[in-house]
Amino acid sequence: MMPIWTKSGEKKAVTLLKVQDCHVLRYVSKEESGGKTAKLLVGGKNVSPFSKPESAHEIFKEAGVPPKQKVTTFNVTDDAIIKPGTPLYAAHFRPGQFVDVTAKTIGKGFQGVVKRWGFKGQPASHGQTKTHRRPGAISTNKAAKVYRGKKMPGKMGNIYRTSFGLKVWRINTKHDIIYVNGSVPGHTNCLVKVRDSKLPTYKDCNKNPPFPTFFADGDEELPEDLFDEEIFQFTDPSVTFA
Amino acid sequence: RGSSDGKPPKFQPPPKPVIIDRKTQKEERRFLSPEFIPPRGRTDPLKYYIERKDMIQRRKVFNIPEFYVGSVLAVTTADPCASAKSNRFVGICIQRGGKGLGATFVLRNVIEDQGVEICYELYSPRIQAIEVLKLEKRLDENLTYLRDALPEYSTFDVNMKPVPRMDHEEIPVNKLQVRMKPKPWSKRWERPKYNIKGIKFELPEHKMKAAQKWSQPWLEFDMLREYDTSKIEEKIRKELSEQLEK
Repeated sequence: MMPIWTKSGEKKAVTLLKVQDCHVLRYVSKEESGGKTAKLLVGGKNVSPFSKPESAHEIFKEAGVPPKQKVTTFNVTDDAIIKPGTPLYAAHFRPGQFVDVTAKTIGKGFQGVVKRWGFKGQPASHGQTKTHRRPGAISTNKAAKVYRGKKMPGKMGNIYRTSFGLKVWRINTKHDIIYVNGSVPGHTNCLVKVRDSKLPTYKDCNKNPPFPTFFADGDEELPEDLFDEEIFQFTDPSVTFA
Repeated sequence: RGSSDGKPPKFQPPPKPVIIDRKTQKEERRFLSPEFIPPRGRTDPLKYYIERKDMIQRRKVFNIPEFYVGSVLAVTTADPCASAKSNRFVGICIQRGGKGLGATFVLRNVIEDQGVEICYELYSPRIQAIEVLKLEKRLDENLTYLRDALPEYSTFDVNMKPVPRMDHEEIPVNKLQVRMKPKPWSKRWERPKYNIKGIKFELPEHKMKAAQKWSQPWLEFDMLREYDTSKIEEKIRKELSEQLEK
């Protein structure tokens, strides 16, 4: 994470996400998958073939791509279908876009009710016998049972969570890095899924993104860094207020 | 030669030793700002490389001078609420924290009997000028104890003139020992964990001895805590000198 400043001098905290060897692996049509839209399987970081079982190698061989550590699905409309085997780059996103980021949260192991669910526990003194971080009562008398989903101690973290509506401030096309506003679930160097935002406020936000994706062998020559309009670039002199 | 003269062979004195005096070869003082050195961790070095590129870019446009904890600085920032839209503050640098673009430094001064500390970000675009009025080092890296010292040690004239100094002199170390206000202090500065050399403790002997109870003499031998930055520093210095010349 890094600070970034706007032209009015305000500081924003930004997370850096690197697009590392992403390729489209397979196209699954609407009828095949049984959902509402077609799906595209996309693979992430390259990994040695010895860490995956032989059965998992098929998809990668079909697409002609080295084995990937993670495979995710994206629901795609029919006009955005991409041929399996095309690489995906950070230039697929543009500054000013809004994005949802999904990742597995940091695993905290088996945790008690105070840390896991934010219960208040009991006072430290005034006669409390061996009861300082316990849940207390778990149900009422009339219910005569404990409801399903009762908040109790258990394994915390290491589950998929999404941060919605994060603005993309800057894209580095040379190293394939996306600068995304705010924080993102997961530990440093973990694998993350970045997707166009599904929030209703950002439905019509994308102004001419590269569609279906940014092709490296195309005619477009992008500069090394793409900035949002509000970002202060370090080549400019210091900010002054009129 | 074997010719026997009856006398022993002529005394050959041993060859004179050649003394190579390495100490007189002066080491060039090269200052590397502490926020360039990456902290120990599992982050990808690419992240630090990209941050450094941004920092170098900013340094090309705006001059960030060399300064240490204990030097007196004057900082002008852009302020939308001030008349004339800019704000000048003079103070002594108490601490330098943060790495990369988020590096900060705290300036302290006493203005009209009120102690004021302001934390500035080195790379913030709102800073319009940083001048070093007095470049010097102190005995410690962290002068936060000035909050509990007598206010005369933190007062600096707002209209102070910059102290002239030659370019190739060594940076003077001010061995000033500061006198403190009566206890209680914000932190127990006499304890060995703070390792403060710049305070003239006027506490009784038994209190100083009792403070040594919290000493951890094994810490300096702990090898897992060692972080040797010499090689990293060399690489970063080379990178910096190449980029700033462009």
